Amino acid sequence: MAICAETWPAGGRQRNWTLTVVPSTEDESGPAAPLARLDDRRLVELCLAGRVEAFDAVVERHQRSVYQLCFRFARRHEDAADLTQEVFLRAYRGLRRFRGDANLSTWLYRIGVNVCLNHVSAKRAPETALDDAPALSAAGDDPASAFAKARESARVRRAVARLPPKQRATLILRVYQDLPHREIAAALGTTVGAVKANFFHALGNLKRLLADEAGGET
Amino acid sequence: MKHLSPDEIVDVAEGCAGASAAAHAAACDGCRSKAEAAAGAIRAARVAEGPEPSPLFWTHLAARIGEAVRREPARVSFWRAWGWRLAPAAAAAVLVLAVGLALRMAPAPEFRPPEPAAVPVAPSAAPRDDSVGGENGDDPSWLLMSLLSAEVSMDDAAASGVWPGPGGTEQALVHLDDAERSELAKILRAELESSRPQL
Repeated sequence: MAICAETWPAGGRQRNWTLTVVPSTEDESGPAAPLARLDDRRLVELCLAGRVEAFDAVVERHQRSVYQLCFRFARRHEDAADLTQEVFLRAYRGLRRFRGDANLSTWLYRIGVNVCLNHVSAKRAPETALDDAPALSAAGDDPASAFAKARESARVRRAVARLPPKQRATLILRVYQDLPHREIAAALGTTVGAVKANFFHALGNLKRLLADEAGGET
Repeated sequence: MKHLSPDEIVDVAEGCAGASAAAHAAACDGCRSKAEAAAGAIRAARVAEGPEPSPLFWTHLAARIGEAVRREPARVSFWRAWGWRLAPAAAAAVLVLAVGLALRMAPAPEFRPPEPAAVPVAPSAAPRDDSVGGENGDDPSWLLMSLLSAEVSMDDAAASGVWPGPGGTEQALVHLDDAERSELAKILRAELESSRPQL
């Protein structure tokens, strides 16, 4: 914007200022534009042009969802942080392969699922990860109900961890990341029909596993 | 009656089924119970809350990823990254290639016999003009060649491509008969005499 004009009253001693705000005609996505305001596609272009700080903006925008995805697989905070870093590093290395015909988030999920599945196959997660232990949330419920909720939450995480990899990935992306079936199909490199079928079987298996867990606890 | 497929049951469980699938689920106990079981599993799965690290964690994680990214090799193309380093090597290779080709295409160096030691030679009775006439003055082809070549320097001849091929001079010498050799010797001696510095 620019301040354009001022007025001088005739014979008056006091200055009256008239401020006219003129919108800038510069391209908002130019080099000086705040990176956080740019869309993903433009950020990727800037990264490819050598502006690494544009990738910082990508990380800030997507780190939460990528971390959540990784935590659902790894079930440990430290592992999830490491996997998140790995996902972004792989994305950075392969940025030229991002064609832009899918959302950047979907592409990151695709990398994330691959990284996480490799992780869980290479390093078998313990039956009970430390972060599966019931943890009381800080606010809200009374201690007893908070503990029951945390315990149920840990039980579900353990059950999800026992699902076959593809069913697990599908369930995580659908239930926890709220991705549409179409985007899950893009992230997993399969069809919408296959995603829905996987999800159906994942839900059936989860129900059985939860019943097993409940039986084991009684 | 055709029952719902798994993906149709998922649609019913998520409340986004088409009219026909929804109508079937309403009418079919088996399909409805499957859809309800799926919906129950979705609700049960949602119980598992995700972690919610502190706001400081996100700052720390972003910084950590940023550092890791900056440790990666620069994201520049191969030619931009290595071109300037390869340029001298490429230039040297081109130069070597050019010199090699030039040497290969150039004629073999003409055999030059070592300059003979000064041999006292009886001066000829009279200076000879070998350019035109002389002993070969009667030979019309020699006369023609002499006339044509009188104004042509060796450099011009070489530049225009009139130049013996590799080994051509040696071939010519080998095929001289005795008289021609004798004549050549005379010419060379005369050249040596004329080029000897006057004391």
